[in-house]
Formats: sequence, structure tokens, C-alpha cells
Amino acid sequence: MTTAARAPLAALCRALAGFLLAIGFWYLMRAPYDRLLANAGELLLRAVESPPVTRLTARGGEILVARADFPPAAPQPGLPAADLHFNVAILAALFALDRHPLDASRVAALLAAGILLFLVHVVALAFDVRSLYATGLGPWSAARYSPLARNFWAGGFHFYEVAGRFAAPFAIWWPFRREPDEPSGGGGRPRKRAA
Amino acid sequence: MLQRSAPPSRPTRSSVLFLVRFGAFLLALYLVLAVRPVDAAVVLPFTGLVARSSAAILNALGESVTVAGTEIRSPGFAVQIENGCNGLETVLLYTAAVLAFPASWTRRLLGLLLGFIAIETFNLIRVATLVWIGSHRPALFDASHTILWQSLVVLCGVMLFLLWASRARGARARDTASGGAAR
Repeated sequence: MTTAARAPLAALCRALAGFLLAIGFWYLMRAPYDRLLANAGELLLRAVESPPVTRLTARGGEILVARADFPPAAPQPGLPAADLHFNVAILAALFALDRHPLDASRVAALLAAGILLFLVHVVALAFDVRSLYATGLGPWSAARYSPLARNFWAGGFHFYEVAGRFAAPFAIWWPFRREPDEPSGGGGRPRKRAA
Repeated sequence: MLQRSAPPSRPTRSSVLFLVRFGAFLLALYLVLAVRPVDAAVVLPFTGLVARSSAAILNALGESVTVAGTEIRSPGFAVQIENGCNGLETVLLYTAAVLAFPASWTRRLLGLLLGFIAIETFNLIRVATLVWIGSHRPALFDASHTILWQSLVVLCGVMLFLLWASRARGARARDTASGGAAR
């Protein structure tokens, strides 16, 4: 097999290895991540609602939604958290495509991309909760959300479910990607300049 | 003295342009697929085809499954093929990326056709595997369903796009070089 033919195969193997490693890391870290996401989502939702009444709690792989203006005994709907953020493994796999994924500059880029993806997760969670408010609470939803608002929140979250959660890691990775013939940034032999 | 252009001057502008076009195409394609008549006339029949093809694969492998609409049933397990399981979300992503990338229309159309076939073939393997897991290892079904297999199908779509884009870029470079040499 030629070197040119081996390069895509090697990249594919690195991506798969990165994906499997990331799945393992994600599995171990998802409970604390759920809590972080619930806190950040609650902060965002309370910043835009008046009065601020939403309370989000992570428990058992779900984000439980409560409102201060509902009776304390009211049921708390749970939103599956993994569906929101398992795409972190896709992001890691894309970064693993690089020939030197463990270079300091690549790890820094992965961390920066991870922060951007976290922001996407927070916004997606906010849409998920507002979609629940707009369409999932029967007469309470109908009395407070117009048809346009219901479509906006439910459509926004549906877009995330169908396309956004897969497109987000790709779109975040794209500006950080390095072409195969680009220098690795550190450690490697400096290239000669053409004269 | 000529110097090689410095690597840090990355094609930031072209990256941003690509992302803007990619986002616009993705949203437009999503809206087309989300419209109820398109869903009824295209997505549902296509999902039924995915269900029947997956069932044919499983039956050929010695399983005993039947299909009703978009539902696949085995003796101890039944699964409904829905949006997100028919591979169209990855086709959506792939199509938006191919349309957003600068290339000739012939190359784009060829890339879309081959990419669609490859993604849907991979998705058929996914659905057949998931039905088998649901029948024989039900405890593993949930994790395999979304997290593992859906991610793998999306990664397959992204890898296909990157392969197509590298070839499109190479063809463009050759065209530019031959155009320059002809002058």
C-alpha cells in the first residue's frame, strides 16, 4: 500500500481510537457534566425569564425541571441529558484525525472547541426546557405560549435533535482543523523556505 | 526573493464563508424535510424502505423478522424506525457540507450520489445490528442506539465529506496549474 493510500486509513484509525477514548471519558464524566450543564442552563433560563422561577437538577442521567410557581408536589419532568451532549465524542474523533493530535497546540484547540460545544449544550438545554414549557404542559402551555412561540421553541429543539447536535461538533472543529500538509506547530523539524 | 506564504495566515475567511454557507444549507434542507407534505411523501416511504431492507438483511442472516410500515418485529423485540434512524440526518449534514464547499457542480452531484449510497448502506448495517442487539442483548440497546451507532454514522458522513473535499481541492489545484501552464 502506498503512503498516500495509507494516510486516510491511518486518519480513520486515529478517529476511531479518539472516538472510543472519548466515549469512555464521556461515560465517566457525564454525571458531573450533567450537573454543570443543569447549573449553566438554569442560569441562562433565569436570566431571560421574569420572574426567574426555573430550577434544573441533574439526577440519574436526566435533567429534572421544576418551577418555583408550581406546587411543590407537582411532578418534575425529566429531560434525557445524554442526548444533549454525547456529541462531545464526535468532536474528539474529529480532532483525532490530525496526524499529531497530542501536540500541545492541538490539545489547546480541542479544549477551546470543547468550551464552544459546552455553550451549544447550554443553549440546546434552554431550548429543550422552553420546548417543554411551550408544548408539554397541556392547558398551562396553551395559555402562555402562542402558536408562533410554540413552533419557535419546539422547532428550535427539533432542529438540534435532527441536525444541530451532529453539525455542531463538525462546525466547531472546521476552523480549528489542520490540512495534512500543514506544519504540526511544535516539535517537528522546521520546514525550509523556498527561495 | 519569493517566500512561501506563512502558515498562520490560514484561510480564515474561506473557513467562515464555508461555515456560513454550511449553516444556511443545513437550515434550508432541514426546513424542507420538516415540512409535513415532504415528510409524508418522501421521508416516511423512505423510512419504510430502510425498514424493509434491514429486515431483508436480517432474514438473509437467519433471523426471523417481519416489517409493518416502519416497524421491524422479531419474536422478542420490536423497534420503530423514525427520523434520526433512517440516515437522513447524516445525509442532510453531508449534503450541506458538499454544497457549501467550492467545487464544480458535476463533482458535487457525483459526490452527493456516492455519499448518499455510502451513508445509507452504512445506516442499513446500523439498523440491522441494532435490531439484532435488541433481540439478543437488549440491555445494550439504548447505549448502542444513539450514542455509539448514531455517532458512527455521522462520523462516516464527515469522513466521506473530507475525502470528497480533498479530491475536489486536488482537482481544483490541477485545473489551476494546467490553466497557468497553458497561458
